[in-house]
Amino acid sequence: MKIFTCKNRFEDMMTCIFNAWDLALKCGHGNVKLMREPVLQYTFMDEYIHVEPDKEKADRVINSIIKKISYEAYVNIYYASLSDEDILDDIYRFLNIGFRMGPKVINMLTNPFVMRLMEQKRKVVNEIHYSREFIRFNSIDNKVYVCHWEPKCDVIYMAARHFADRMPSEHFMIIDENRRYAVIHPKDSEMYMTDLSDEEMDILSRTEQYADEYRDLWSVFFNSIGIKERENRKCQRNFFPLRLRKHAVEFMDEKNA
Amino acid sequence: MFELKAGLTLNEKLNILADAAKYDVACTSSGVDRKGEKGKLGNSKACGICHSFASDGRCISLLKILMTNHCIYDCKYCINRVSNDVPRATFTPEEICELTIEFYKRNYIEGLFLSSGVLKNPTYTMEKMCETLALLRNKYKFNGYIHIKTIPGAADELLAAAGYLADRISVNLELPTEDSLKKLAPNKSFNSIINPMAKISSTIAGNRVLLGKDARMERSSGNKYLSHSIFAGENVRLDKSTESSKADAVTSSGQVLDLSAAKETGIFSDSWKKRSFAPAGQSTQIIIGASGESDYTLLRTTQKLYQTFDLKRVFFSAYIPINEDALLPSLDMAPPLLREHRLYQADWLLRFYGFQADELLSEDKPDLNVQIDPKCDWALRHLDIFPIELQTAPYYMILRVPGIGPKSAKRIIQARRYGLLDFNSLKKMGVVLKRAHYFITCGGKMMFNTPIEEKYITRQLISVNSKENWQVTHTEKYSQMSLFDDFGVS
Repeated sequence: MKIFTCKNRFEDMMTCIFNAWDLALKCGHGNVKLMREPVLQYTFMDEYIHVEPDKEKADRVINSIIKKISYEAYVNIYYASLSDEDILDDIYRFLNIGFRMGPKVINMLTNPFVMRLMEQKRKVVNEIHYSREFIRFNSIDNKVYVCHWEPKCDVIYMAARHFADRMPSEHFMIIDENRRYAVIHPKDSEMYMTDLSDEEMDILSRTEQYADEYRDLWSVFFNSIGIKERENRKCQRNFFPLRLRKHAVEFMDEKNA
Repeated sequence: MFELKAGLTLNEKLNILADAAKYDVACTSSGVDRKGEKGKLGNSKACGICHSFASDGRCISLLKILMTNHCIYDCKYCINRVSNDVPRATFTPEEICELTIEFYKRNYIEGLFLSSGVLKNPTYTMEKMCETLALLRNKYKFNGYIHIKTIPGAADELLAAAGYLADRISVNLELPTEDSLKKLAPNKSFNSIINPMAKISSTIAGNRVLLGKDARMERSSGNKYLSHSIFAGENVRLDKSTESSKADAVTSSGQVLDLSAAKETGIFSDSWKKRSFAPAGQSTQIIIGASGESDYTLLRTTQKLYQTFDLKRVFFSAYIPINEDALLPSLDMAPPLLREHRLYQADWLLRFYGFQADELLSEDKPDLNVQIDPKCDWALRHLDIFPIELQTAPYYMILRVPGIGPKSAKRIIQARRYGLLDFNSLKKMGVVLKRAHYFITCGGKMMFNTPIEEKYITRQLISVNSKENWQVTHTEKYSQMSLFDDFGVS
C-alpha cells in the first residue's frame, strides 16, 4: 500500500489528497492511505510518500469540492481539518462518496465516514465556541491585549476572527501555547499569524503576571455572584472544564478552583 | 439605610451590588446578531456566549449588577427590602460604564445586565438607569449586549428610551397571581407589571414590522414544522397578506411607547430611533416556592405570557429563604431546586418540542412528577402510541420520544432518506438511548426485548433518572450512610 503523508496544514492536506487521488486512479482507492505527520510508527511493507504543499493542486481540490459537492461540505471539511485527531484519511473517503453522491452526501449520517466528519467538525466548532467563551485578555497598560490559550484543536485563528469583529479598534494578540504561534490583530487593520521563538514565548509569558486592577475586580464579582445555598461544583465543572481554567483569571486564586 | 462610609471603594461597591443582584436569574446574551463597527467596541451573537460559571453552576454572561440596592419598597422575599439592615451602595453612571468597558475588553463579559432597587421613586430610578445606558452607548461607544430590568411604575417615555438603548428589556413578574403579589409585594400591583409588559410587547411588534420582519419574535426553527406548538395557530400568527394592516392596528392602539415625549427631558436623542427597539425581545422571571401556586398555574401562566406578550423567555427562580417573615416559608427550607429544574424542562417542551401546558398537566394532576422528567412522564401516560418506528414516523412524533431532541430529530430525518437507521448510528446522532429505547423501533425491532408495561418502564426510567435527581437536590456534601435514615429500614 502507498501511504501519503503531509504536514498538519490545510493546503498540505489538500495537496496530499490530490496526489493520492491521482495515484488511486491507476491502482484503486483501496490501495492508498493518507496520514498526517508525524508518523509515529512506520509499517514494514508500505511505501511512505511525503507530500509538499502546492497551491495550484490544493485549489483544484477545493474547487471540485465546492462545485461537485457543496460549499457547506467544503466548510465542514475545513473545520474538521483543524481537529487534533488525524482526520485526513476520513476526509479522503468522504470525498470518495461525495463526488459520486453530490450535495446530499452531508446528510448521509448512517455512513461511518460522513458521521466521522460530522463529529470532528462538531468537535472543532465546540472548541471554537469554548475559545469565544473562556479566552481571557490581559491588558498591558490599556494599549495591547494579550491572551494565552491552549486549545486541543487548532482554532485560534477562527477565534481571533470573532474578536476582530468585536474589537476592531484595539491591538490584541492570541497565543497558542502548544503550537507556539500567535494571531496578531493591529488596531484597525488586517490580522496575521506568526510563529514564536522561545525567547518571544518567554517574554510573552510574563504578561499574565501583569498588575491590573480589573483582574481583582473580576475576581470580586465572580465570588459574590454565586449563590451559596445553590452551590453545585459538579455543574460548574460540566460547563467550565478544568482543562480550560489554566488561563482563566477567576480560577487562578486557589480557593475558587 | 444610609451608607455609613461616604467613600466606598469601587471594589466594595462591586461586592455589595453584585451580591445584591445575584438572585436575578436571567443572564442570557442571546437573541440578537450584530456586527462590530470600526471605532466602536462590541458585537453580539444570536446564540449567546457564556463567559464563566459561578460556584452554583449558573452561567455568567453579563456583568449583572444593581445600580443601587437602596430601595423604598418592602417586598417580603427580597434581600434589598427597606426593612432589611444590609450594607447599601450606589454606582455612579461612569463607574458602571468603566467596569463594563474594561471587563468587556478582557473578554470577561458579554455585556451589561442592569437592574436596580427603587431610589426615591420609580421614574427617578429609571431615568438614572437610562442615563447610564445612554452614556455607555454614546460616549463609551459600546456596541455589545445590554439587558435592562425596568422598574414597575416608571414613566412610559423612559421605557421607550430603555428599549431603544438596550437589547433585551424585562419586567419581573415575580409572583404569578394577583393574590400572592398583594400579599408578598405590597407596594407593587399586578397592573403596574402587566401594563408595561403589554406596552413593550406591542412596541417591539410595531418596530419589527417597520424593519420588515415578522411581528412575532423568531423562535427555534423546528417550530415551523410543529402545527400544535404554542407559537402556531390562529391566535398568534399574523397573516402575511394582512400584515401591514395589522401593523397599523398594533401601532395605532395607543399602547405603543413613543420616544418623542422623552426628548423634551434633554438627555434623550432622536438618533436612538435608528436602533431597533429591544431586538432580543423581553423576558420575565417568576419565583418558585414562595407562595402556594401549583406547577399547572405556573406553566399555564408561562404559556400565556409566550402567546400574548410574545416573551422570549420566562425564567424560574427557586425561592431562597433569606428573610424571616410570617408570610414566607421558614428559613430552614431548602430551595426547591428539583422543582425549578422540572419547570425548566417543561418550559423547553413548550418552546422547542411543540407541547402545550395542558398536555403536560391538568387540574387533576397539578404538579410535575419530581421523580421523572415531564417528557418521560407524558410518554408513560401515552404508552398506547409507542413504540414508534423511527424510519417512518413524522417529525413532531419523533420529537415527542424521550431522549430525542430537536437536533437529533433533525439528523434522523436527514439520514433516513438515504439509508436504514440502526441503534448504533442513532447513538452517534445524539439520541439518548437509555431513555429512548423503551419507546422506539428501528427497522421494526426494539433494541431489547422490552415489555410495553407502564409499571415496568416507569421503574426503569426512575432508576435512570435517580442519579441526575440526586445531583440536582444534593450538592457535594458527604455524610456517613445510615441504614435507618437513607434506606428506611426500621
